[in-house]
Amino acid sequence: MLENFLAGTGALFGDPFTIAIFVFGVVGGMLFGAIPGVSMLTLAAILLPFTADLEPAQGVMLFAVIYCTGTYGGAITAILFNIPGAPENAPTAFDGYPMTRKGQSGKAVGAAVLCSAIGGVASALVMMAATEPLANWAIRNIGPPEIFALVFFGLAVASSVGGRTIWKGWMSVLLGLLIATIGQDPVGGINRYNFGFTDLAAGIAFVPAILGFFAVSEIFVQAEKKATGQFDAPKVGMSFPTVLELWMHKFAVLRSILVGFFCGILPGIGATLAAFMGYGEAVRWSKNKEEFGKGKLEGVISSETANNAATGAAMIPLLALGLPGGALTAMMVAVFQMHDLEPGPLVFYNSPDLIWIVFAAMFYANLSILFIGLIETKTILYLLKIPFQFLAPLILLLATIGAYISRGLVLDVMVMFGAGILGFLLRRTGYSIPGIVLGLILGKIGEQNFAQGMQMVHYDLGTYFSRPICSILIAAGALTLAAGVYRAFASSSHKA
Amino acid sequence: MGQLGKSHMIETVVWSLIAVIFFGYTFEFNQPIEIYKFGATGWPRVIILLLMLVTLGNLYHHFKNGSAVQKGRVGIAETDDSQTDYGNPATLAKIIAILFTPFLFAWLLKPVGMYSGAPFFIAAVIWLFGERRWQWILAITLLIYAILLGLFVVTLNAPLPQGNVSPFYDFSGFILKMNTQLQQLW
Repeated sequence: MLENFLAGTGALFGDPFTIAIFVFGVVGGMLFGAIPGVSMLTLAAILLPFTADLEPAQGVMLFAVIYCTGTYGGAITAILFNIPGAPENAPTAFDGYPMTRKGQSGKAVGAAVLCSAIGGVASALVMMAATEPLANWAIRNIGPPEIFALVFFGLAVASSVGGRTIWKGWMSVLLGLLIATIGQDPVGGINRYNFGFTDLAAGIAFVPAILGFFAVSEIFVQAEKKATGQFDAPKVGMSFPTVLELWMHKFAVLRSILVGFFCGILPGIGATLAAFMGYGEAVRWSKNKEEFGKGKLEGVISSETANNAATGAAMIPLLALGLPGGALTAMMVAVFQMHDLEPGPLVFYNSPDLIWIVFAAMFYANLSILFIGLIETKTILYLLKIPFQFLAPLILLLATIGAYISRGLVLDVMVMFGAGILGFLLRRTGYSIPGIVLGLILGKIGEQNFAQGMQMVHYDLGTYFSRPICSILIAAGALTLAAGVYRAFASSSHKA
Repeated sequence: MGQLGKSHMIETVVWSLIAVIFFGYTFEFNQPIEIYKFGATGWPRVIILLLMLVTLGNLYHHFKNGSAVQKGRVGIAETDDSQTDYGNPATLAKIIAILFTPFLFAWLLKPVGMYSGAPFFIAAVIWLFGERRWQWILAITLLIYAILLGLFVVTLNAPLPQGNVSPFYDFSGFILKMNTQLQQLW
């Protein structure tokens, strides 16, 4: 492994043009992740056509680097503006934004930098050592029933965080699932809920919906506060977390690395579920559950470690099985295809150089988060000093471009602003925006894998539950839901 | 009526309407799929059924507790934003304008295009956010427009909507021609 890693490092840093692409990916990913309104997906969508002119290894490496640094970059906007750069940063905002309101933005961003780097580097190391054996294990043990079970468990966890009541948490997730049914059904390709719009046959695109629910709705919330005289500019805090503070959360970091890696390795799940489950597990194991959501450092640490730990793991199904784990890894499949390559087991034998350049680049990209991230953070924090009336049009304009660019449809811009209005109204009444977005992202994956799973077991639920991983995950999800119902009724009877 | 308020009833009616409309629409695509027993409607109908059940649970919570936050919830604001005071009609009008100006901009993107529409949109948003110094509105509008052109047009050559109505389409053509000439200088 070390030999291959050194060979990959040599190939990465032996060519000035490849170095330039690496640096561009690192800086571009961080920058686009950290600019409110656009995300790493916007940059990736813009760059996709240009990768045709690059060497295959350079193209795939560029996207892998953007994935690592962009996942971290999205935490900055989540913490500073309550606008997650990507869905995987949504749980970071739960505690990161309250920390900013309390003048602890530096501490939150510093923790995000360090934990993203730790999670990412750990994940990259495991990825290098274990891609082939883990891929073999996944092929044998993970099928559609297990993926559906994990989606079920993830949605159960998501409904228990966010939302003023458990009912609103569930309604948010179910609304996301309902929106995800728009477009062709994943089994028979039958058009559902297109309401006469042919563009809706492909469904609601993730990027505009995410931008609308997160970025645009947050602008509207701030606009309302300005109009009603309740606007309170966030305070800039430059104090970084101390080594002792971070050491105190070592178990949270370790737990989130495991959770992130487990979620990332499963095809179609990716970093978003990892972040939610990392956060959910932190709440579950904490003695001070009530402090979460009010500016607890552990919330930021858990979510950011888990989502970056998933980035390396997400490469395993992509490279070993050819299955993308999210929007950006799906674009990486397109980069492979542009160069007449197919990601899958054969890539390890046909293009080992490509694989090890990508592995080495991801390792160094995660390391660079630590150094470039800390320098960049101090600059980014000054964004908070820009008056919001000047920042808002920039965010809205960037979001418009971000929504339009992926498919070139004005309908997507309208969907984004529609989602923004809907998100604004739902936030005012205590619903969970991250819950809606997770439902939207996992809805199609869940339906497809449920259908495939049921076909596999010939609609026999007994066989379905006899699969150990599947039954454990379903039981864990059911227990989470049952605990939620119990708490909801218990709190009602206490009041009554 | 317990602690049920008018807003809780409206909320329940809205969610029920969503469920009814989406359920009714399932009959539009109620076709069997040969290889899948539950067809195209099975999954959405289960979601709708669960949504109706949870809506009733939400109504029960409101009946018992009103709008109170359930104990132990994480990732939520402590304050109840729905209680914001809209006593002044001008404030309400301003909020509605802020909500729908971006939608209007999106609707106009096809005929007017990004290049012609963006400066007016930027200025409108700054104004709606309460800035009244016209020099600042003008300067920030030009700055954001320059960032838009510099980053997405000159650096990244991103394809943006050009509009399809004259003179907006002609203006987009002029900007793109300038960009091409600029690229040829390098």
